[in-house]
Amino acid sequence: MALRELSSLEKYLGLKKPNKYTTQGDRKVPVLQNNNGPPLVGLVTVACHLVKESKRPELLGDGAEGRAVVQQWLEYRVTKLDGSSKEETRAILKELNSYLEDKVYFAGHQITLADIFMYHGTHSLMVDLSVQEREQFVNVTRWFDHVQHVRGLRHHLTPVAVLRNRIYTSRHH
Amino acid sequence: MGDMSTQAGLKSLNNFLADKSYIEGFSASQADVAVFEAIPVSPPSNLCHLLRWYNHAKSFYPQRSNLPVSKSQYVIPNHTQNIPNPTQNNLGCSNDEDDDLDLFGSDDEDEEAEKIKQQRLAEYAARKAKKPALIAKSSILLDVKPWDDETDMVKMEECVRSVEMEGLLWGQSKLVPVGYGIKKLQIGCVVEDDKVGTDMLEEAITAFEDYVQSVDVAAFNKI
Repeated sequence: MALRELSSLEKYLGLKKPNKYTTQGDRKVPVLQNNNGPPLVGLVTVACHLVKESKRPELLGDGAEGRAVVQQWLEYRVTKLDGSSKEETRAILKELNSYLEDKVYFAGHQITLADIFMYHGTHSLMVDLSVQEREQFVNVTRWFDHVQHVRGLRHHLTPVAVLRNRIYTSRHH
Repeated sequence: MGDMSTQAGLKSLNNFLADKSYIEGFSASQADVAVFEAIPVSPPSNLCHLLRWYNHAKSFYPQRSNLPVSKSQYVIPNHTQNIPNPTQNNLGCSNDEDDDLDLFGSDDEDEEAEKIKQQRLAEYAARKAKKPALIAKSSILLDVKPWDDETDMVKMEECVRSVEMEGLLWGQSKLVPVGYGIKKLQIGCVVEDDKVGTDMLEEAITAFEDYVQSVDVAAFNKI
């Protein structure tokens, strides 16, 4: 799963030569063996390395605060989102929905690695949401639809159809 | 352009932007610039989708000259023209408000789809009007017999085919031997029933007295 994500990220970044990854442990943590230096372990570590390699530092955030926000969400993805249970999903979506109320992207006014990571992380949640729930978490749905349409971003993940449904007039919380 | 100076106009725009990051499509365009310039002041915080979009548009406004043109003649959703039920509450953002999700808000894509649908219906109606009513046609096979075996069958066929009538279309022909070296010309045609009858054809063909001895209908099929 993580390897496919890294491969997708490589494509988005336009990296010409795909890297060879290995995994370690039961959780299949990705490992990138660099030619010089120690191996890079962990999805976040490897991803940040790829971003630097492709010379797109803006993807890691703009300014100190921006960079901190990006890192915060990268960590959120790996610690809270991945492996979350069905019960926790609702709470997570609520949190994301209120966070995204006044934001187009997770950090700042441009797409960052935080958006990419959160997109991959929330895809399985979004796929399972009913139409009514997608209306309920309208900000998450809006952000998700936006990110999945970013050129060069979506590779192996199926597109999630987002249609405003005129039937549901449920209160949203 | 809708009225951005009215509360209603802003409310409807807010509703429009609930599920969109940009006015048009999934990236910034001149449409965003146009709408941004039409809004006099920063929108109030209760129109949270509009405020979100507004702040975002403000961030890329300095680069507006680099943004692509908008695809359609962008019309701001006007509360009188687009929302079918204007009494319905709009999308409120704070959790205190007892708002219903207004999903009857204007939907630009729907408008376009409706336009295209009307266009197509008009085209279809025009085509239907031009299309002629079902015409009754028949396929007739004629046997044209010469006087003798010395009759020039090629000339005879030419004569037959020279018969022109409205609603008559000549088809394939072949020469069929009938004995004593005589061949008859078997020629098919398609006629419109109300325009051409077999007696008309027979009369026209037997007019070529030099070549044609008689004409018979070998086969007659309604198409």
